[in-house]
Amino acid sequence: MAEKMQLCNISENNFEQCTKCSICTTVCPVAAVTTDYPGPKQAGPDGARYRLKDKAYYDKMLKLCLNCKRCEVACPSDVHIADIIQRARMSASEGRRASLRDTLLANTDLLGTVANLVAPVANATLGLKPTKLVMHSVMAIDKHRTFPAYSRTKFETWFKRHAASQQDAFSNHVSYFHGCYVNYNFPKLGQDLVKLMNSIGYGVHLLDKEQCCGVALIANGLFKQAKRQARVNATSIRQAVNGDGRTVLTTSSSCTFNLRDEYPAILDVDTSDVRNSIMLATRFIYNLVDEERIKLVFKKDYKRRIAYHTACHMERMGWQLYSIELLRMIPGLDLQLLEQECCGISGTYGFKKENYERSQAIGSILFKHIEDAQVEAVATDCETCKWQIEMSTGLPVENPISILADALDVEATRLANNLTNN
Amino acid sequence: MRMDTVIMGGGLSGLTCGIALAKRGQRVTIIASGQSTLLFNGGSMELLGSIDGQAVMAPLEAIPTLPQDHPYSKIGASRIAALANEAKELLADANISMEGNAEVNHWRVTPMGVAKPAWLTLSENLRIDDLAKLPAKHVALMCIRGFFDQPNGMLAQGLQKLGFDVKRIEFTTDDITALRRSPSEMRAASLAKHLVSNNALQRVADQINTLAGDAEMVLLPSVLGQNDESYFKALESMVNKPLRLIATLPPAVAGSRMQTLLRHYFQMLGGNYLMGDTAVSGNFEDGKLLSVTTAKLGDMPLRADNFVLATGSFVSRGLIADYERVYEPIFNLDVDADSDRELWTRFGILEPQAYSRYGVATDNELRCLKQGKPIQNLRAIGSVLSGHDAIKMGDGTGVSLLTALAAAQSTLQGKR
Repeated sequence: MAEKMQLCNISENNFEQCTKCSICTTVCPVAAVTTDYPGPKQAGPDGARYRLKDKAYYDKMLKLCLNCKRCEVACPSDVHIADIIQRARMSASEGRRASLRDTLLANTDLLGTVANLVAPVANATLGLKPTKLVMHSVMAIDKHRTFPAYSRTKFETWFKRHAASQQDAFSNHVSYFHGCYVNYNFPKLGQDLVKLMNSIGYGVHLLDKEQCCGVALIANGLFKQAKRQARVNATSIRQAVNGDGRTVLTTSSSCTFNLRDEYPAILDVDTSDVRNSIMLATRFIYNLVDEERIKLVFKKDYKRRIAYHTACHMERMGWQLYSIELLRMIPGLDLQLLEQECCGISGTYGFKKENYERSQAIGSILFKHIEDAQVEAVATDCETCKWQIEMSTGLPVENPISILADALDVEATRLANNLTNN
Repeated sequence: MRMDTVIMGGGLSGLTCGIALAKRGQRVTIIASGQSTLLFNGGSMELLGSIDGQAVMAPLEAIPTLPQDHPYSKIGASRIAALANEAKELLADANISMEGNAEVNHWRVTPMGVAKPAWLTLSENLRIDDLAKLPAKHVALMCIRGFFDQPNGMLAQGLQKLGFDVKRIEFTTDDITALRRSPSEMRAASLAKHLVSNNALQRVADQINTLAGDAEMVLLPSVLGQNDESYFKALESMVNKPLRLIATLPPAVAGSRMQTLLRHYFQMLGGNYLMGDTAVSGNFEDGKLLSVTTAKLGDMPLRADNFVLATGSFVSRGLIADYERVYEPIFNLDVDADSDRELWTRFGILEPQAYSRYGVATDNELRCLKQGKPIQNLRAIGSVLSGHDAIKMGDGTGVSLLTALAAAQSTLQGKR
């Protein structure tokens, strides 16, 4: 009887477990810079009680939530505060259409496909003052922002032309969920991963069909489309994991978090059967080294001082340890750890005119820490943190995979792993 | 992943132990399931404040009289003075400036205006060395309009009772008024985040300087500086009378800052701090713990030579009470707790409660017991330990700090 009562006493997203301690509010980056946002306790578990009674209690200021998950990380009672807030936003958005601006920003792959075709033109015009002003006033995309440059060649195209044919020769294999950023903006990161994996004896393969993971769709309230894309990705990942027996690697912390945790928690797309096989490449590689199944040999003359920034979703996943410990293996790398603070961009949030000032105010603490660290570059596993930190500090920001690939002595590593030239 | 030591729990005891080990070159990872109860601390540490309802003023003299099952007795009453010194130095190294000593307790003032014996108190807080000789007679109690976290009436009454001549002064500034737009968050932490520019602090100082009249000392709720004490220092230099802060209701700005500074120091020493992760199970062999599995690291457990359990008491879920029993949720270690549920609590919330002395059973080297046998390389520290009572004895923070340092010493000496 007693046991039954406890089993029944489980609330959606644990909201009944909230003890009203208010610790979440002390770490909320949005509440710290604006009084318009009621803070995570009020927006999440407190508000949920009212909303259960009547949907009219929905507070439209919940749109200010970054979904950075810092509240969930801080919660001593394991209440899924940010999930409660996203669920409330989703429920309030039913039957409403997102604005053109939000739809465009959210559709990173549609935008990317068009922009790739006209990359030189897109890069030139998106950077021009008149274009920026039109975007600012007509589209409400903030004029201070520079769109990440679009690559002329998609990663997928590069891969098919230059890498795909060599991958079957390896004796071990992984699949790669590259994400929109690698595909349209920064194929080099994908190329770095292929270089790194190939050097340790792993062939890299694309998924049958990859669509944008949908993190921006969720943030912009396009939940139906996010669900559609999630189902496509889930099918492809299942094929890779169950059909081909491959782990699916990623290089973006937010994509990873979305695929593993937000699909079931927010979109009701269950990926639990393959969740353990979706992981950041740094976790996969760290584990191979840790189990002494591979060796990494680094260049002797490599010397850099870099600060590591833990992206909010990275901390929520709890995997920063792998990226940090891998980077610490590079003898010539002086790695400075930055205190975990939100950079303020949160995907597309900071691109919106109405959020720009808030976004920069949120990030200001982190920017100050970076300045104090006196480094030549910043490492982080999140691409939107990269844009924000590069724009706000002027320092280059690199993914740990790129840093590893750059520091790696490829020939010595291949030899150490008994790979002959093929 | 292999570490020298893995610590479960990232609050005061876990961080103190982690710092002591990392300082000696160990590779340490701390698993912290959310923020700790240090955030409820208003800025004081207590070694021992009370025995059987009587205030203790000389803790080092009283500690040898404690029962054998008290954590201080287990680590050895003769070691307390040295460990207390080490703890004070460690806090100072983390940039937490506290005053006080282990020989003589001073008095801290609670948010309700009650004086309680304390060992260390933040330099910025009101501290009374001798109740017969108050640091000032006439004090201006500055009350922020609309502020949630300070019961002004009770506080003023309490201060009067202590002998202060209290003038209650309500004030606000444009910055503070703007905060009231959010009806639910006029809290100490929110104020601390907004009172950070020199201009905002100057406006507070102007109000104080205008309104404090002939008071000898100004008292302000502790709402300054979530990450460092520089904001207090800035305001202090702008106010033309001595300024002291009074702890607020939790979450406290001072506790939040101490947590941040300790974590920062630990990470600076190369420690890994996994915030928001939870240890879920362990792999034992021949009376030793080989590895710990966490919720987030999943199928890649953390292996280590030594492990420390610093998961806290019931509120931090280091101990769980359900309808039938009290248990330790990660390893199902032995607990010192009554099996009869009727004995857990007694009527009257202010009465001593049996459950507050419950905790994990350990031997005299703080090694955890499982089915009566000590786990060679798993030590328990802080609030998860049995035999002490943070509320009634005022020994919570002291036990956290001192058992952490004692466990770090045993770990380094390889006492397995």
